[in-house]
Amino acid sequence: MKTDPTFWLLARASGLTAYLLLTLSVLAGLILKSRPFGRAVKAASVMDLHRLLSMLGLASLGVHGTMLLLDRTVHMPVSGLFVPGASPYRPVSVALGVIAAELMALVVVSFSVRKLIGQKRWRLLHWTTYAIFGLATAHGLLAGSDSAQPWARDLYLGAVAAIVFATAWRASYKPSRSAHKARVG
Amino acid sequence: MTYRIVIDGLACSGFGDCADLAPDIFELDSHGKALLRVGTSTDPAVLDAASACPMGAITVEEVPD
Repeated sequence: MKTDPTFWLLARASGLTAYLLLTLSVLAGLILKSRPFGRAVKAASVMDLHRLLSMLGLASLGVHGTMLLLDRTVHMPVSGLFVPGASPYRPVSVALGVIAAELMALVVVSFSVRKLIGQKRWRLLHWTTYAIFGLATAHGLLAGSDSAQPWARDLYLGAVAAIVFATAWRASYKPSRSAHKARVG
Repeated sequence: MTYRIVIDGLACSGFGDCADLAPDIFELDSHGKALLRVGTSTDPAVLDAASACPMGAITVEEVPD
């Protein structure tokens, strides 16, 4: 009897969706500070989008894990989703995804308790986003069964290029009001 | 044009963008929260600061001269 591929297909699709949402959320976070659109786009709106994308990313991760549990292709135990290395399927590659997902959940939740932990600690914790993105990329490439496909490689390459570009832009951005000063004289 | 500035202390999370963009008008306290140096200003940089606040904690009203 042929195995129903529905859950396996959904697991792959939700994993890629979560990766895409993570990438877009990081981009929104970087734009929040570098403000390439100036006053035309309010930072508070970008912040709302940043938070929405990260929460949708977490939700997609929830779907990703649930579909892996329901699927009969890789026989994923519940522990494999939460304990790095406990997956019988590509244990190291899956562990990278588990660590990335747990760190991502921590960073997303930290926003709600930032006043409790303090702005400085919250900012420090937010830097782990780069580790999350790196781990998620490695997990997708090494554990994903679509990684050999040209479209999947393009997706990962595009995501990494976008984050590198936006980070470089953010690093070179210096808050300035020189345009106003020049106009006002 | 004169601008009246109000900071929502509950919304402010200490990102500090306002003090970066308009240091003559905003400063940060020891907890990193934004404080006003002045109540009103004619400097359009306040509009930048309000727009740049990630929490939308700064309100700017135009006051007729």
